[in-house]
Amino acid sequence: MKKLDLKVKDYPELAISWESTLVNKTGTWRTFYPKYVPKTPPCNYYCPANENIQKYIALSLKGKFEEAYLTILEKNPFPSITGRVCYHPCETGCNRRNFDESIAIHTIERFLGDYGLNFVEPKRKIEKLTNDKKVAIVGSGPSGLSCAYYLLLNGINVTIFEKEEYAGGILFYGIPKYRLPKEIVKSEVEKLIKRGAKFIFNKELGKDFSLTDLVKEYDAIFLAIGAQIEQELGIPNEEAKGVLIGLDFLKAINLKKKIKDFGKNVLVIGGGNTAIDCARVALRKGAKVKILYRRTKEEMPAVKEEVEEAIKEGVEIIFLTAPVKVISDKKGKVKGLECVKMKLGEEVDETGRRKPVPIKNSNFIIKSDTIIKAIGERVELNILPKEIIGKRTILADEYGKTNMEKVFAGGDCVTGPRTVVEAIAYGRRSAYLILYYLKNYEIPRKESFNLVNYENLNLYYFEKQKRIEENKLSVNKRKGNFKEIITTLSDREIKYEASRCFSCGVCNNCDNCYVFCPDLAILKKDSEYEILYDYCKGCGVCAHECPRNVISMFFEEAK
Amino acid sequence: MKESLIYGKKKVVTGNHAVSYGVLLSKAEVIAAYPITPQTQIVELLSEFCASGLLKAKFIKVESEHSAMAACVGAAAAGCRTFTATSAHGLALMHEMLHWAVGGRLPIVLANVNRAMGPGWSVWTDQNDSLSQRDVGFVQFYCESNQEVLDTTIQAFKIAETCLIPVMLVLDAFVLSHTSEPVDIPYQEDVDKFLPPYKPKYFLDINDPRAFGGLTSPDHYYEIRYKIEEAHKKALKVSEEVDNDFYQIFGRKYGLVEAYHCEDAKLILVTSGTITGTARQVIDEERSKGKRVGLLKIRLFRPSPISQIKEILTKAEKVAVIDRNISFGHSGIFCQEIKSILYNEIRRPVVFGFVIGLGGRDVIPEDIQEIIDFTYKADYPQEMVYFRGLRI
Repeated sequence: MKKLDLKVKDYPELAISWESTLVNKTGTWRTFYPKYVPKTPPCNYYCPANENIQKYIALSLKGKFEEAYLTILEKNPFPSITGRVCYHPCETGCNRRNFDESIAIHTIERFLGDYGLNFVEPKRKIEKLTNDKKVAIVGSGPSGLSCAYYLLLNGINVTIFEKEEYAGGILFYGIPKYRLPKEIVKSEVEKLIKRGAKFIFNKELGKDFSLTDLVKEYDAIFLAIGAQIEQELGIPNEEAKGVLIGLDFLKAINLKKKIKDFGKNVLVIGGGNTAIDCARVALRKGAKVKILYRRTKEEMPAVKEEVEEAIKEGVEIIFLTAPVKVISDKKGKVKGLECVKMKLGEEVDETGRRKPVPIKNSNFIIKSDTIIKAIGERVELNILPKEIIGKRTILADEYGKTNMEKVFAGGDCVTGPRTVVEAIAYGRRSAYLILYYLKNYEIPRKESFNLVNYENLNLYYFEKQKRIEENKLSVNKRKGNFKEIITTLSDREIKYEASRCFSCGVCNNCDNCYVFCPDLAILKKDSEYEILYDYCKGCGVCAHECPRNVISMFFEEAK
Repeated sequence: MKESLIYGKKKVVTGNHAVSYGVLLSKAEVIAAYPITPQTQIVELLSEFCASGLLKAKFIKVESEHSAMAACVGAAAAGCRTFTATSAHGLALMHEMLHWAVGGRLPIVLANVNRAMGPGWSVWTDQNDSLSQRDVGFVQFYCESNQEVLDTTIQAFKIAETCLIPVMLVLDAFVLSHTSEPVDIPYQEDVDKFLPPYKPKYFLDINDPRAFGGLTSPDHYYEIRYKIEEAHKKALKVSEEVDNDFYQIFGRKYGLVEAYHCEDAKLILVTSGTITGTARQVIDEERSKGKRVGLLKIRLFRPSPISQIKEILTKAEKVAVIDRNISFGHSGIFCQEIKSILYNEIRRPVVFGFVIGLGGRDVIPEDIQEIIDFTYKADYPQEMVYFRGLRI
């Protein structure tokens, strides 16, 4: 403070502090302090492969598609496939769903997958690493291919045994072309071949070679044989001519083979994705198709969108109905199915759904000349040694470790029939466990999650914006062909959709904290912020005004 | 709006829009205002200028006039050229922040459209709203025509920024605000020459953070307050210089006061605002009859142009001050001002005070004539104030 003999001329025009206010370290007033604590957005959390979705959306918004593509590849090598067929639980978890509509994450993933195949892969450098270890992978479905990718990436010599003549497993033989064109699968397989993967086709485990053979020759074996055996209905006369097996039917169509005993009136039994695929494929083959499902629409395990599309295309679904007996003519050819009406009982099964029970004397007959069985798949266990198998599947932990030295397993053959993305995730996890065994890599640790919920967001800063819609082939144009229904969106559309992302829990430099801090106690440094704790009074305005819950407040311990 | 249709054109515009064009030409950087009749059109047009990009300013929508002035205070403290406009109750609500603008020495320009205070609810003109803010320390200009409104707006920024004191320009509701007159809109280059960008002496600087307007003890407050008085003294000089500079470029000047036929006048009317225009006509008629009557128009109310007023009025025998306002229990406010200025003069005229036209009641030439006739006949005022046009 200056002396009191100051004259009028010595004063400034207004009451302004003589010194810089920086001398006044107001940080000592604080009882709480703010801190930037990045958190987990629900999309990343709910993705079975734990893709860093928020990150690749943010990169897409900036038009950095290559970086975005490579970000996906850290967790999932095949975004062009999952972008098409994944049931996208990320979108179900998306916080934006509570605000208007969830981000169409799958469209972005699909775009990036295609972008990667077209523009990134051709110029991507492949590092040649020393190949001193050899791993055999049995099965070239999603988990086998995924495991192969991450092993190759880390310099492991990979040989993939495939009993069919093409790679891809369910991706190639199961999923119909209108959902997943086979060129896409081939391009993704090409990616692995370029990296040095060796494929041996038409060789089947348990027939052409045994697990013991592999154990002798390889440093590690990854079993990814899937769940490929269609379950029996367990009803009389199901071996009649004209009763087809779901996966076999799909495979034949994907190979453009002629189907024996394929009639005009087709009945598909089951409520899962295989059943829906069979029904929609049969429809494209010119049949009238009905699906028989013993529970209601609510319990259907198939992806909702797929069910809706099937209905739109003209598939009729008969709910709460179960097969009783296949009826055939004198030549043993199917002519109908005896069914019984069901109701949901009080008892609940292991999936948490109410068990359906038959209604007495409600039997009736549906005429049909082809019946397709698609009530679920199981694992072919009789080709495997007893020590690694359980009742229905191979026994392995979540990283694929089995009871047998050198032998790992993952995907549907461990989990039972699940989804493509889960199989891919399993393949990756197993690859890193194998790397731990072979090359002493750090054992993959479980990620910790600090989930951002809808209530954690400050919604004041968001505006309602319509979710992007994909272009779909009209139902009329789908008839009699296997053209892909959905087209990939343009980069402009992808950027729009990316702009809707809340970026939950991840700072995107919106500057709210910087702008709102009443004490100017936040500094901007390049793309980061720094809190000046000498001056921050701990008012919490920054934390409150952060739209995405990146800043957390903590109690200041007494010093 | 096409730029070629604005600059350097003679346009027929309302008083309100004359303000808007003045602000546009002055290149205000921040505008914060809340709408109130009869001021609304000023900011309405400005918001259009901002939206079209013609005026590159931040237009801040606020929830009250208090906030409007608070936003202006913040923006001006950050070093921006800042403008707001209001009327009557809006100005009253701003009152606290007006002190902040003055004490913070922030060169904000405020256009106030004179509107009578309620209740009874009124939207029509009188001067009690702006005169109620007499002592906050704003410079106050009262305008007579739309051209003067536009010119004064531009001058106001220059005076404010030179003296670090906020300026209020005042125009009558409807008589000016909503009445169209031909107005010369200057060329932008000319205004740029006259009014260069604002270079603040003090501003919020994150590289040298200071506390503004903090606690000021009795040891310091008085000296800093006196600085405001100094600023007003400076403003008196600067206003005259600015008016002259303006004349050099634009060929128009108004003076701080204007003496109309006062040289040999025995009776001088004192007016402000649009009553001046009406009075001019009456003076012309009186002069044609050979009567020695003059008119003193007060344009600058604060700081008070004391020496000019003294010089002009001491030559007359009688002065009639016409007030469209009232300080209840005393008299018209301009009348008090004139009396206080003349009191210590050895040779001073007799001062008559007339209140007229409150709440926007028309003041017509016959009213002025009556005041002249009355003052002529009377030797000495029997009342502190005479109420003209009042139905008793």
